[in-house]
Amino acid sequence: MTTGLLYVTTIAITYTALLFLIAWFARRRSEEGKSLVNNPLVYSLSIAIYCTTWTFYGSVGKAATSGIDFLMIYLGPTLTAFSWYFILQRMIRISKESNVSSIADFISLRYGKSQLLGTLVTLIATFGIMPYIALQIKAFNTSFALVSGITRRTILIPGTPEPLNLPSGLLLAISLSVFGVIFGARLLSSTERHEGLIAAVAFESLVKLVSLIGVGIFVTWGLFNGFSDIFEQFRGRFPEQFAHLMTLDTQTGSNDIPASTMLLMSMGAIMLLPRQFHVMVVENADTRHVKTAMWLFPAYLFLINLFIMPIALGGILLTGSPAGADYFVISLPLIHGNNSIALLAFLGGLSAAAGMVMVESVAISTMLLNHLFMPIIVRITPKQWFPVLLINLKRFGIFVVVFMGYLYYLLVGDSFMLVNMGLISFSAAMQFLPAILGGLYWKRGNKSGAICGMSLGFAAWGYTLLIPSLLTSPQLPPFLANGPFGIALLKPTALFGLTGMDMWSHSLFWSMLLNIGAYLVCSLLLPQSEQEKEQVHRFIGSFEQEAKAYRAATKRLSKPVTIPQFTVLLGKFIGKDEARRTMEAYLRERQLSSDSVVEEFELPGLKRFVERTLAGSVGAAAAGAIVDSYLSDMGSRMESVYDIFSTVRTSLDQSREALFVRLKASEIINRTLDIQTIADDLLQLLLKEFKLDAGLIQLRKNSDFPLAVISYQGANRHPIMPGHWYLESDPYFKMAMIDQRTHLVNDLRQLDGTVTMDKTKEEGFVSFAHVPIFREGEECLGVLSVYSKEIVGLFTEEFISLLTSLAGQLAQAARLVGEMEAREATRRTMLQAQLEKTRLMRDMEIAQQIQHSLLPEAPPDIFGIELAGRCIPATHVGGDYYDFFKRDDQTIDLVIADVSGHSVGAALIMAEVRTLLQAQASHAASPSVILTSLNNQLYADLTRAELFITMFYARYNAATARLSFANAGHNRPLVHRPGEDGCRELDAEGLILGIKQNVVFEEETITLTAGDLIFFHTDGIPEAMDKSGEFYGTERICHTLSVVADKPAEQITDLFYEQVQQFSGEKALQDDISMVILKILT
Amino acid sequence: MFWRSTRHRLMKRLQLRESWIIFFILGNVMINFPFLKIFNQPISIMGFPLLFLYFTLGWAISIGVIYLFTQTTEPDHQHGEERPHP
Repeated sequence: MTTGLLYVTTIAITYTALLFLIAWFARRRSEEGKSLVNNPLVYSLSIAIYCTTWTFYGSVGKAATSGIDFLMIYLGPTLTAFSWYFILQRMIRISKESNVSSIADFISLRYGKSQLLGTLVTLIATFGIMPYIALQIKAFNTSFALVSGITRRTILIPGTPEPLNLPSGLLLAISLSVFGVIFGARLLSSTERHEGLIAAVAFESLVKLVSLIGVGIFVTWGLFNGFSDIFEQFRGRFPEQFAHLMTLDTQTGSNDIPASTMLLMSMGAIMLLPRQFHVMVVENADTRHVKTAMWLFPAYLFLINLFIMPIALGGILLTGSPAGADYFVISLPLIHGNNSIALLAFLGGLSAAAGMVMVESVAISTMLLNHLFMPIIVRITPKQWFPVLLINLKRFGIFVVVFMGYLYYLLVGDSFMLVNMGLISFSAAMQFLPAILGGLYWKRGNKSGAICGMSLGFAAWGYTLLIPSLLTSPQLPPFLANGPFGIALLKPTALFGLTGMDMWSHSLFWSMLLNIGAYLVCSLLLPQSEQEKEQVHRFIGSFEQEAKAYRAATKRLSKPVTIPQFTVLLGKFIGKDEARRTMEAYLRERQLSSDSVVEEFELPGLKRFVERTLAGSVGAAAAGAIVDSYLSDMGSRMESVYDIFSTVRTSLDQSREALFVRLKASEIINRTLDIQTIADDLLQLLLKEFKLDAGLIQLRKNSDFPLAVISYQGANRHPIMPGHWYLESDPYFKMAMIDQRTHLVNDLRQLDGTVTMDKTKEEGFVSFAHVPIFREGEECLGVLSVYSKEIVGLFTEEFISLLTSLAGQLAQAARLVGEMEAREATRRTMLQAQLEKTRLMRDMEIAQQIQHSLLPEAPPDIFGIELAGRCIPATHVGGDYYDFFKRDDQTIDLVIADVSGHSVGAALIMAEVRTLLQAQASHAASPSVILTSLNNQLYADLTRAELFITMFYARYNAATARLSFANAGHNRPLVHRPGEDGCRELDAEGLILGIKQNVVFEEETITLTAGDLIFFHTDGIPEAMDKSGEFYGTERICHTLSVVADKPAEQITDLFYEQVQQFSGEKALQDDISMVILKILT
Repeated sequence: MFWRSTRHRLMKRLQLRESWIIFFILGNVMINFPFLKIFNQPISIMGFPLLFLYFTLGWAISIGVIYLFTQTTEPDHQHGEERPHP
């Protein structure tokens, strides 16, 4: 019994209309902000897209022929669901961060946004899914024929003489494609979430469940008396089959697919099939929904499979054989005349097929567009109609996917059971497993590993499964039976002699072995690229990487970027309004203002946001490239993508030519830091591209300098000298410099008389423009001038805006060069200063050595006295001086002096003093006379040098034991006598040397006795200060003298030095210290 | 009373990440050979084939276990996996 073609068609169309209504309603709700889809129930139901006609029809067929192992396809996902809390949530989080639009995007993102990898995944998915789509077409086609009663492919339409050939499969393929287009590719949206599609899918899942349970109840309780009745009856009538169906086949070598193979494949397929990834990851509205789906989805699977076994066994009982068991769900109600149940089953099947094909084709066409078409179309010359092309390419992709399935269906026809066809696709999807799992949990996993693994796995799958599946009917070709060229080892179904396995397990074994093996080996042997490393941590989740990514992101940005610039970039791809809206939302969230320059620390975040938003419409790989190239001012790779889109989207304001010039200009500017080269190249580019006749670039270092011509290009150049024609434009230069606006004359002939341009006119120029070279908010650096001899009105607003932007870039470069030069100059000065200082230090050291050598090496020997002298300068050179002059065996002159200051000047004067004193030494003048003459000799020099000298001059005669002395304002020497407390001072009137000429010095005499100790010193000793600011003082000197008086003179000087040092603590000596000890022995 | 305390204790156990991996492995063991061999016999219990019964009940129980687990995690704890890695 059948229900008639028209009736079934009407029902199908009505049902489809209902789906559209639901989709439309869901989309409207989401636009109103009240999402229908954003709840865990819908999410779980949408994952149930896993149940296709395979489940709906095929499971019964499988259950009736090979038995209970059909359950493995559903137990696998249940087991996988255990891991969702970790794996799926992580995948969703990563995908949301980067706006991943497909599984190809996801994998390519992890491995450094590799285009190649994305393309590879797309190819595997496209070919891999072929048998799966074929399965849907086949199942639906057959069920439609069953329900409508069309058993042959020709029908007789009333009123036409000839029977009409009805290519129902083709019609179905077309309508499924149209479905896909309407639900998934109406618009080129910026987001890859399709609320309408998901609502429809969830509804279909409900219909599937209700319908299959309905049929199950009808068979179990309508035709039989419950579960045990069916089982018992079956056991009674077919005991052998009962044993076969109710146990798992453990023999190897049979043609059945082992339960473990099915289990493994289904565990992978639930996450890896493109449509599963799409509904679970891409369309996920909230990660919390995963938690519910973890048990709700397995529960759905449980319920939908509960009646499969009863229907299968009941079908065999009722029809007598498992033939046609794939369609028991429809044929059983039909046999028993229950049309409404049959129609319900048909709707369930329709839902299963339509839902699967829709989502799968949308998911794969997105991949095709982003990873296969995009890389190709970015290479061809862009045209106005590109956006139209893109959306149509996506639609075309949907048709490609569906029709490849249809083709496979035509080729393979009826030679496979539904389930076995589906498993071919599962096996293909498994090829993604190593790359994804490795990507999520293994840091070393790299791009080369993923590419090698997947391509080898894909090749093995194609060779051992896809090709054999195409060639099985009707008889084995020699290629398949004996291997290519008769090489048995290469036989596709027994590769390298591996026999005794079914085709599916055999293929799975080889493809996974090669895939995992290559992935591991390549990952271990080859290094990861920088870009990959950046992604690894995003996937594997470690926080130190954030900082690294931040550094990498900021490193690439050499110029300040403003938010409007980002908005403009976004606008080129997703439309101006949408761009403004999303950007505003983002800024609100980050509490930024929209017109500011982006702070450095905000840039990486903003960049990621822009990338993410772009990823929705062009895929992650292209988005990354676009943002990168945009940020480096189109100077880097993939600039073509950006370029093309700019051209397409901004064609209204900018010509192709202008874009080319921009691109070239930024190349020129980024290539070198030599401003001369930049200016020359830039002018030449402008002259060449815009047919200009002369161009000048004038720059100045800063506002203190006048403008200077840096570059002058054009034909027939005159040497630049006073009276050159360009100087006529000087008023324009000045105006441009002052008001920072372009000044142009589009027709020189129309110029009024305020500025005379006679020479310019004579040269034949008809129009010119002077564009100020400056950075926003800074003063003008110069003027870019261009002249044309041919075109009146050349300088349109558009052209001027291009010139302005180039001038801005030039200013940027000039500023950069200026800064570099300034830095270089500072560095050089500092180096010079450093050198100077080193040289000076060396000189000072030499001076110190010389000065030291001027002091007496050792005191002369005079009978009856002991002498010692010591001088320690505070700095390298000092102004202290002492000396001894032996006049005869009995007489010795002692002198101690202090030139004010510690400068080199002081040291020089000291040297002079020494020379003069030595000259004096031969005369027998008295100390006072010597001081007087010294004062007169030194007066001029000291006055010039603004220095003065204190000096104490003494003469001791051992025979008379008399010390005669004169003092020129020096510290009074101290005399310590044994047995006396304290000490007396030697004093004589006298003025400091260098104050005035012709000074008379008083001369005093004192008689010394044995044991007397005279201590000559400079002010460094009594004026040495301790931490609290207290002076060492004369009293302390006297005290020390009384303590050390018995020691040898040499030792006394050492002791004094130590004492003074101790006294002043850690502080360096404030003043030079000099002392001379005269000890009377006899 | 007894049920409640048992349930409470059970839930506490399930919170652990390790229990997940254990359940996952256990599930794999239980639907693979050789464990499956115990039930892989063509006999019926109360009219239900043994293997069918085993799969159906086992499946229902495992769904129950997942359900219990999901109830143990806090509602706003979005990233259950985001525990620091060793």
